[in-house]
Parts: sequence; structure tokens; C-alpha cells
Amino acid sequence: MIKITNLEKIYRTEEVETVALNKLSLEVKEGEFVAVMGPSGCGKSTLLNILGLLDDPDAGSFVFNGIEVAKFNERKRADLRKHNIGFVFQSFNLIDELTVFENVELPLIYTGVKSSDRKKRVEEVLDKVQIMHRRNHYPQQLSGGQQQRVAVARAVVNNPKLILADEPTGNLDSSNGNEVMQMLTDLNEQGTTIVMVTHSEHDSRYSHRIIRMLDGQTVLENIMV
Amino acid sequence: MIKNYLSLAIKNFRKQKLFSLINILGLSIGITCCLMLFLFIQNEFSYDHFHKNGKNIYRIMRVGELNGEQHEIPYVSVAYAPALINDFPDAIESAVRVMKDNNLISNNNISFNERNVFLADADFFNVFSFPLIKGDAASVLKDPNSIVLTESSAKKYFGTVDPMGKILQFNKNQALKVTGVCKDVPVNSHLQFDMVIPLEILRTTQPPEWFTNFPNNSLFTYIELKKGIDPKQLEKRFAGFMDKYLGKYYAESGHKMGLIAKPLNKIYFSSDQFDSVKHGNLKMVYIFMSIAVLILIIACINFVNLATARASDRSKEVGLRKVLGAVKKQLFGQFILESVLFATIACLISVGLLQLLMPAYNEVLGYKLPSFWTNPWFYGFMIGIIAVVGLLAGSYPALLLSSFSPIESLKGKLKIGNSGAFFRKALVVFQFGVSVLLIIGVVVVINQMKYVKNSDLGFNKEQSMIVRFDNRDIFNKGKQFKNELLTIPSVQSVSLMSGEPGGFHDSYSFEAEANPAEKFLLNTEFADLSFVKTLGLKIIAGRDLSESYGTDSLQAVLINRTAATKLGYTPEQAIGKWIKNISRDSVKRTIVGVVEDYHYVSLKTPIGPLVISPGSDNRLALIKLKSTNLKTVVENIKKVYADAAPAYPFEYSFLDERFDLLYRAEARQESVLSIFSIIAIFVACLGLFGLASYTAIKRTKEVGVRKVLGSSVQNIVLLLSKDLLKPVLLGALIAIPVGYYAMNKWLQSFAYRIEFHWWMFALAIGIAITIALLTVGIQAIKAAMANPVKSLRTE
Repeated sequence: MIKITNLEKIYRTEEVETVALNKLSLEVKEGEFVAVMGPSGCGKSTLLNILGLLDDPDAGSFVFNGIEVAKFNERKRADLRKHNIGFVFQSFNLIDELTVFENVELPLIYTGVKSSDRKKRVEEVLDKVQIMHRRNHYPQQLSGGQQQRVAVARAVVNNPKLILADEPTGNLDSSNGNEVMQMLTDLNEQGTTIVMVTHSEHDSRYSHRIIRMLDGQTVLENIMV
Repeated sequence: MIKNYLSLAIKNFRKQKLFSLINILGLSIGITCCLMLFLFIQNEFSYDHFHKNGKNIYRIMRVGELNGEQHEIPYVSVAYAPALINDFPDAIESAVRVMKDNNLISNNNISFNERNVFLADADFFNVFSFPLIKGDAASVLKDPNSIVLTESSAKKYFGTVDPMGKILQFNKNQALKVTGVCKDVPVNSHLQFDMVIPLEILRTTQPPEWFTNFPNNSLFTYIELKKGIDPKQLEKRFAGFMDKYLGKYYAESGHKMGLIAKPLNKIYFSSDQFDSVKHGNLKMVYIFMSIAVLILIIACINFVNLATARASDRSKEVGLRKVLGAVKKQLFGQFILESVLFATIACLISVGLLQLLMPAYNEVLGYKLPSFWTNPWFYGFMIGIIAVVGLLAGSYPALLLSSFSPIESLKGKLKIGNSGAFFRKALVVFQFGVSVLLIIGVVVVINQMKYVKNSDLGFNKEQSMIVRFDNRDIFNKGKQFKNELLTIPSVQSVSLMSGEPGGFHDSYSFEAEANPAEKFLLNTEFADLSFVKTLGLKIIAGRDLSESYGTDSLQAVLINRTAATKLGYTPEQAIGKWIKNISRDSVKRTIVGVVEDYHYVSLKTPIGPLVISPGSDNRLALIKLKSTNLKTVVENIKKVYADAAPAYPFEYSFLDERFDLLYRAEARQESVLSIFSIIAIFVACLGLFGLASYTAIKRTKEVGVRKVLGSSVQNIVLLLSKDLLKPVLLGALIAIPVGYYAMNKWLQSFAYRIEFHWWMFALAIGIAITIALLTVGIQAIKAAMANPVKSLRTE
């Protein structure tokens, strides 16, 4: 599903040049659950941004579903992203002004789903993450675990092939964290590919494979058995 | 999708109550100003457009030089119309003469002195489109003893009874049969009348030569051109026409005039002091227009400034939407929709405000505008305003917000670049530039008006009552009226004259001893011998006119200083020299005295040469009162008037009030400018207040840290205020040269005017800075006084 080769990303300010990704190569197969680990500043987030088509690499190749996307413009990236990729963030990133229902509905609006279909689909997903009873609440009215469940619902509402999770349990206590990890595992078992950045060794054990990064390169791969 | 955007916009609106209120309030005020302006301008430009044949109707006007200025004079003699039809049968379809008159109209015992009577040709209702409710346009004015009433007049005389065929008395001596009733004349007509009577009725009262003489200022003449006739071509042929009928007269008087055809729809906006019909002031329209547009821009700037300042608050939302697949275009649309929503809410509030303000607005305008609820253009304009304001105010913030990078905005690392801050400051510079400009305008206008009202006019305008001789009874018994007035103890003196200061003064050609070959065009005042005494004029050479010289009435004149100069004399040299009014005098008159120049016209016009000639062409009595009980004096004068003209109601005015009316347009500009500059600075400060409170919120942590480190409250207030006041000051400085230029231009319309002083600009800047300082200061003090522990804890 994902094949990146010799990927480079360099951040430049007037005085400093920071190499975020240094000729990084990586492959993720369809249906895999991959955890990316490493110290702060090793390039995990940059990698996730590029995988999520939020940022473009300076050099190298990025093949997504058999298509070379490294040189895609913003419009094409947005189009590919909204149909294929879901995001889960550490800080949930729900829109405070929208209700639970409206937050989950948002990706469907941008993919142009009809209003009646949207309602059905959102309700299905909310049911699945067991937050249906809170559909008309605002994010501030929910606990952290509930907010992250909404975020997961939003990530999967479009049936994406790939979910990118950036420290999904970072702001949660262990019981809520476990719940979210279980949800991701369930999704993976149903066929969704997952790439997760995490600091937590505990969480990484849910994955099939751990990629360890340092200074913009992969240094080690652990295959979980 | 739109529903989603709308619900989000409304939630955002609720969440940011202060900023939303500032935006809505500012926009509402700006839009209200614009709507007011629109109604005013639409009405102004709709004048005389309701006539079906309007495009072919022209008013005949004489053009020529008077007192060194080019004038267009709408009055011509009765003889023009038949001569025009006779001489240009190929071009002129019909000609209608219209004479505005005041007459006593009675129904049995009820009489009214009607001031809006039109004496007109039978074609009046054919040429002009004043719809008749009763009667037939072609025949209503055929019979010389007929009358057409407006609906209101018909009600006034006959109540609910059908007026058709009823009889009204004309000046108590002729019977008129009501042959028609027309709708009340619309506001947007330069011709305003309450009733129309055939001009032919004057055959019984006017001498026959009145109908054939060409040199005479009697009435207006309108012509309807045949289809396809070019008025410019016709005007070229008018030169021969004038030569044919007036060549001899002009050769004698040494003063020549031309003839033009003025399009009907151009009459309202042309203005000449000699034209007495209703006129618009194009200059005022433009002043209105610019100010309202400027206020709307100031309000839009508030919107732009607050939206961009708050942009970083919304960056997370923008980032998320982009992550979820929104493209720039969609986000741009979302933010534009939000600003259009703001504009719509503001517009609805404006309509409410407008409804509330209409009575006051009509008062300021001096007339009643038609209701806007039934005006389809008004709704169109409103939609236009929503679109323009939505786009104008919304596009920059929308562009800025939609261009955020999703990664940075999600991380909260987004920095709105310096260019954004620079742009905001530039907008504040503009807002306060405009505000200071308006304040400069107000300061200059107020000072000029004060100067105009307090200037020594050269005559005494206090306690002087004017009684006009507007009917034949009082005109014929003028002398008797004066003599009886002088028996009232509180009456100091009385003078009968042709025109009071500020009123109408004729111009005549004179021959003079100074140069008998030259014709001198001089203003004239025909008065009795008490003129100088009653007005309190100063004799600077020679003597006043006096009864004790038996020949003064027929052989003496006074002139003013400017006339002496024009004739080439010093005041002393002028004494004993002769002059002769070519059209009026049969003998030469001797200059027996020279009076100091006095403002017999407004201070807008330079004092011209004036001849004060004893004469019986007395159109009013000026009554100088001693300061006693005004009420009793008026009662006594009323009794004397009733003796002389029992059929007519007694009406009077005061000279000082009449003279102030000459500056009516300027007084209106003064009030409009004052009101609008207050509004402008209020809206600008509203925006500044928003920016100040936003800055205070954003810098809460910084203020906390500074206080912990020992900074004083004053230091923090200064720190927070400084940044916001700099653009205010810069705007004020830019306004100075612009204000100087604009107000200098305005002052040019006065022949006598104030000088510019530095303090006028200092005052304007002072006012703006003080208000801005108060606005910013309150927020800064609030932030500086806050407990630092609290502000640091919330971080």
C-alpha cells in the first residue's frame, strides 16, 4: 500500500538547516498495523505528515496504492486524502463549535455524501464507538476518552484504507487508552491499514511491526509475534 | 454544506460576543448611513423624470453677464411663447407659460391667501404629466374662468363634496369654475403648485402691452419639441430670434442676453440665484455620498481588522478542515459566507434603525422622502450592499485564513506574519485619517458659519420686521399703511423698498456723467426716503435723502462706495454728479450721498455697485421696532394691516431670520457633517476598542510576567497603548494636508471667509487622539491592573 524510497525532508530557516528525513525508505503492506517509535525530533511526525499527504517531500519517491504521489499538488493531495486516509491525533482536534454528530459528519461533507446518507453513516459509526447517546454534545462536555472515541469515529467514517494515528493515547489515562487501542486493533482486523506514532512501549505491542527511528532514518525493525 | 457553515458561523458569533457586537454595530451604522444616502440620492435624481414627454420638454432661459458673472435667468416675458411657436413651427410642438402667483381664493366666506397658484396656458396638463383624477387634460383650462385643484386643495375648500362645477372667487372679483382635480404634486417635481388657473384670466387685469412686451421678467416658458429635433440646432437659431424681438432694446440698454433651451431633467440641479423654483444641491449630494461611503468603509475595516487579528484563534479549525479534505476554495467560501451573514444581520438591523431615524432624517433634509417599504430599488440596493460588504470585508480575512498550512495551524505554531500586522495598522491609519478629516471639516464649517453670522453686515438687522406687499390692496395703500404704522409708539421707523438686504435686487443699465458713452450695469434699490435711517446705513459722503429737499423723490439718488469706485470716483467726488436709469428714469438724477458698502447680498457674493433710488416700486415694508413688548406691537401692526388689506391674512418675518436663511444649505452641511463625523469616529473607535481588547487578551501572559518582574501599571498601559496609538497619530497627520485642500475649496464659495489657523488642525487631531486614547487606555488599564498570578496560572 505504501512504498517510500530515499525520502528526504529538510527544514530551512535563515541560519539553520534541519534534516528531518534522511533518505528514508519504508514499505507498509495493506492490512498491516505499524508502530513508529523514536525520541523527540527523530522525524516521526514529519513522516506521518508526508504519509498523510499533509506535507510534500523534498526528494525521493512516495507510492501510495500504486500511484506516485510525491509531486502531487495541494488539490490532488486533498482529494486523495479525503477519500483514503483518516487521522487520529493526540489532542483529539475536534472542532469546539461543532457537536459530536457534526464533527463526525464533516469528512462526509467534504467527500460530497448526500445529507440522508450522511446521517445514516454517522449514526452507524457513533454506535460502533458507543458514543451515540452523546451525539448532540459539544467536545468540551466530554471526557478525554470520549473525545478520542469521537475522533476515531471521525477518522473511520469515510471507510479509509489507511488510518494515521499520532500518539492516540498520549492524553488519556490507561483504561481509556486501552479502550482506544482496542478500537484501532478491531479496525485493523477488519482490514484497515494503521500507522501509529507512539512513545508508549505498551501501545506499540498492539502493532504487527515496530519501526524505530533516529535522526531521520529507520534504525531498527521489530516484528511482533 | 451551507447549513453546516451557517450553524458554525452562528456559533462563532455567540462565542465571540464582544467582537461580533462590534462588527455588527459598526456595520449596521455604516449600512444605515448608506441606506439613508441611497434614499436621498434616488429621490434627488428622480426629479422630473415622471413626465411622459419629459425628454422633449425644455425650459427657455435667457443667459447673460450680470455683475461680472454668467447667469441663467428663467424668467421671460409673456410674449416669448407665441413668438417661438410662430417663428419655429417646424421644431416646436407646443409652448406652455407658467407663472407662479399668490392670490386670494374664496369659497363663499372662507378665504385663503394661496401662495402656490400657477397661472398657465391651456396645454399645461397635456405637456406635463400631472395626472387628473377628474376632468379632461385637453379641456380643463380652455375656459379662462376655470380652475384645476390638487386633491388636497379640493379637500381644503370643499371637504368631501364633489368640487366639479363648483365656483371659487379669484381675488374677490372673478368667479372660477372648478373643471378638474389633479393628484397632489409629487415631491420630486421642480414645479410645485396647489391649483392651476388659465393665464388668460389676466387679460382682464393686465394692460394689453403686458402680453406683447419682450423686456419683462414675468414667467417661465416651457417648450415641447417635435420628435427628432436637436435642441442644440434650435438654440443656434435663437440668436436671430433675440435680435428680431429685442435687438433694439439691447442696443439702447447696452446689455445683451442670449436664449437657451434647458432640458427639463437638468433644471433641478442647475442653480442660479435668480431661479425661484425648487432646486437640488449637487455639491451636497456628493458630500453626502462620500461621507456615507467612507463610514461604510470604516465599518468594513473594523470587520477586516478584527477578523485577521483573530485569525490565529481559528487556525486550528482551518487546519482540521484541510486535514479532513477541505480545499482552499471551500474554506474561502466558508469565510465569505460568514461575512455575508454578518452583513445580512447588520442590514436587517439597519432597516430597523432607518425606520426609527426617518422622521429626524426628513427634518434634516427639510422635506419628506417617500416611504422605502414599497420601493423595489431599495431592496435591490440592500442586496447589493450585502454582497459588496460581504465581499469587501470578507475577502481578505478569508484569503488569509484559507491559506494557512494545516500542519502548523494544528500544532498552534502558526505565526500571522508581520505583513498582516502592517496591513491592520495601515487600515487603522485610514480610519483615523478619515475621522480627523471630517473633524477638520466640522471645525472649519462651524467657524465660517460663526464668522458669517457675527460679521458686521453694515446695516442693523435686529428688531426689523418685514411685511411683504404681496397683494394689490396692500400694494396700493402702501403709503397709508406706513403712515399709520408710524403712529404706533413702539415703531421706530418704516421704510418701503423693493428688496430687503438678502432679498432680490434688480440690475439696470445706467448712463453716467463719468462716461456718458458707456453703459453701467448697476444693482438697484427702489425705496422711500427713510431707507438709510431704517436700516441704519452709514453716509460717508454727501447727505441722506430727505423730505426737506422737495426734489429728492424725482431727481436724487444715493450710491454705495463700490458704485462710486465703479464710476471712477472717490465718495466725495461722486457727490453732485448725475446718473440715469435708462429704462426707468426720464430725467438725470443727482448723486446726493454715498453710503458705506453693506451686505445687501449674502457673504457668499462680493458686494456689488448699488444705486438707492427713490421710487414707488415698493414690494415690502421694513419696520424698525423699539425693544418693547413684541406681542403687543405685532397685534397693533396686524390691526393696521387689516385696515389696509382686510381680505388678506397678516404675515410677517424678521430680517435677521431671513438673512440667516441665505445660509440654509451651509447650515445643513454643518449639521450633516457634524453628525457624520461623530458617527465616523465612533465606528473607528469601536474597531480600535476591539483591537485593544484583543491585544490585551493576547498579551495577558506577557503582562503577568512583566508585573512579576516589577513593571508598574503605568509602564504596562504605555506599552499596550503605544502600538495602537501610532497609526492613529499617523492617520491624523495625513489628514491635515487633505483637510486643508478640501476645506479651502469649500471656503471658496464664500466671498468673505475666515483664514486657516494651525489650531484648527491641532483641535481636530486633539479630539481624535483623546477619544482614541480613552478607548485604548481603558482596555490597557484593565489588563495592567489584573492579578499577575491569575493570568500566569491560566496559561
